[in-house]
Amino acid sequence: MSRLRLSGVFAALLSTTAFAAAPAPFDKPGVKIALVSYISAGDFFQAYQSGAEAQAKKLGIDLRVFPGKQDATEEREQIEQAVNLGVKAIVIDHGLPESLKDVAQKALDAGVKVIAFDVNLDNAKIPQVEQSDHLLAKLALEQAIKDNGESFKVGYVYVAGFAPLDRRDEVWTEFKKKYPGIQEIARFGAVNATTAASVADQAKAVLRAHPEITVIFAPYDEFARGAKLALGELGLADKVKVYSADVSTADIREITEAGSPWVATVATNPAVVGAVSVRAAALAAAGADPGHDIVVEPVLLTQKALKESGVTTVEELSAKLPAFGKSSAATAAWIPE
Amino acid sequence: MSPDLFAFARRGAVFALLAALLVGFSLAEPAFLGLANFMSVLQSVSVVAILASGVTVSMAVGGFDLSVGAVAASTVMVSAYAMVVWKLGAAATVALALAFGLGVGLVNAALIVVVGVPDLLATLAINFLLTGLQLIPTAGRSIAAGLILPSGETAKGAFDPAFLSLGRARVGGVAPVPVLMMLAVGVLVFVLTERTRIGRLLFAIGGNEIAARLAGARVERLKTLAYLISGGLAALGGVIVAARVGRGDISSGASLLLDSVAASLIGFAVLAARRPNVLGSIVGAIFVGVLLNGLTMLNVPYYTQDFVKGAVLVGALGLTYGLGRRRA
Repeated sequence: MSRLRLSGVFAALLSTTAFAAAPAPFDKPGVKIALVSYISAGDFFQAYQSGAEAQAKKLGIDLRVFPGKQDATEEREQIEQAVNLGVKAIVIDHGLPESLKDVAQKALDAGVKVIAFDVNLDNAKIPQVEQSDHLLAKLALEQAIKDNGESFKVGYVYVAGFAPLDRRDEVWTEFKKKYPGIQEIARFGAVNATTAASVADQAKAVLRAHPEITVIFAPYDEFARGAKLALGELGLADKVKVYSADVSTADIREITEAGSPWVATVATNPAVVGAVSVRAAALAAAGADPGHDIVVEPVLLTQKALKESGVTTVEELSAKLPAFGKSSAATAAWIPE
Repeated sequence: MSPDLFAFARRGAVFALLAALLVGFSLAEPAFLGLANFMSVLQSVSVVAILASGVTVSMAVGGFDLSVGAVAASTVMVSAYAMVVWKLGAAATVALALAFGLGVGLVNAALIVVVGVPDLLATLAINFLLTGLQLIPTAGRSIAAGLILPSGETAKGAFDPAFLSLGRARVGGVAPVPVLMMLAVGVLVFVLTERTRIGRLLFAIGGNEIAARLAGARVERLKTLAYLISGGLAALGGVIVAARVGRGDISSGASLLLDSVAASLIGFAVLAARRPNVLGSIVGAIFVGVLLNGLTMLNVPYYTQDFVKGAVLVGALGLTYGLGRRRA
């Protein structure tokens, strides 16, 4: 009996010391980790970056942020630069797989750990952080069916080649098969330094050509912003509804505006995803295995619910909805949250 | 300061600054000095340097090829289309891409020489035309394996690995192919513009077209040559970008025009040339590349990079035009 109690005390002692003593190389501050992003503009990526930076600070990590500025060759060079700089791990945030696969492998060969967020590098040694894109699309579309019935005409915003958008597109394709009454009338989209403005111009053209569209499915908040802008300028905000993925403080304001056509979004807190990415990178750099698929679960946010709760910023949302504000993915005893 | 010393200082200014940068950055961040990093920097500026060489040649005849960025970007799409949709091999694709660049150069030259449109305006118009044209064959979508064409069928080709190695391989494990191409282009264009009669005629036309014509230079033909060179080099740059990106991405090459024009203008300050010159353009491109690479290594925020590029350009132009006025 006493031996059991002793071992209990021992275990408690061990766990408290384990919390304090981080494994190498994190026992000394100043470990370099690189965050290489493909898209630099937009709320999502800024929130993602600040979440990553906050988590890095808590771990005493020197986080080097490289922006891709939507240029695939820049992103390649930045990954090589990061390796030259002597970082212990690289988080690759979005990008084009064809231009990244070989550089990522070179990084791995040089002993640098690589974590991918929302880009499928098809490599067993590169863990993938994702936001459960299937759930993101599914919950948004189910809400659309709740609001509009099982038969409506859709304008779909999509750009091929981005892993998260491709995953959400798979769900969309299945939905169309399951509900033949839901028809995709037009497909458009663009990803560049001014995504929302470009999508708005395209949306205006599409809506003028197809006045029978009643729903716009835009599974990325910059797309939804563009769609909302177009609907406002055409005066169609009461006739068409916008369903999207992702959220940010600016998005919450736009959703809860009077007369806004943006009725629902499904999202994770991008700052949380950023923090998870850095945690996964830290685990990998310390020699632990964060697992191959690290998923951050999203929640459904409807216009009605947001208005009723009076939430105006992402921070308030995190406070009111714990499921949105925290993730238990990629944690360890020695990682402060 | 005596006039000789002054002239010496002006001529060596850019090189002195470059040396100072290299020393400074190496002291601040030892990782900067590695061979791998050096090759990385050269590789990152190789496409801009090649395009800048083309712009320099067009500036030599008193023109200005503003279409180089769009030609490079369109060449990315042409190469991707050739491999993914038509299933051509690497050699055929490169030949097609270069032919495309030369073709655009010919169109530019025709507009300028035959129709009489001022250089700047003609190439700007072609710039817009190409930016739009590259999107039409694929209905605005990027080209990758498995692309769904506007007709509904799926494209069955893929990027040829031999083509990709043009942008990714390293000769001897050390020197990236694009860097070797940049050096080769630099040497060839340097010899053409600075050491041959044709080069002298090109600059003569740029200096005073009427005098050159009266002296017997075939102005139309030489101008056409200049734009052919510019278009061809821009296409070569596009091939390298396509090989690196591995996909016909519609947004590649967005910043190429401004970066290559900036490099050409910084080239005016190198060796106090005060005229378009290839050596200067390439040194200019490398200068900006070294500066940005060093600043990144020192964790200077990325959003200041464009500001730094602009400051360097203003400084170089000030150096070139400001100091010269006090010639004794």
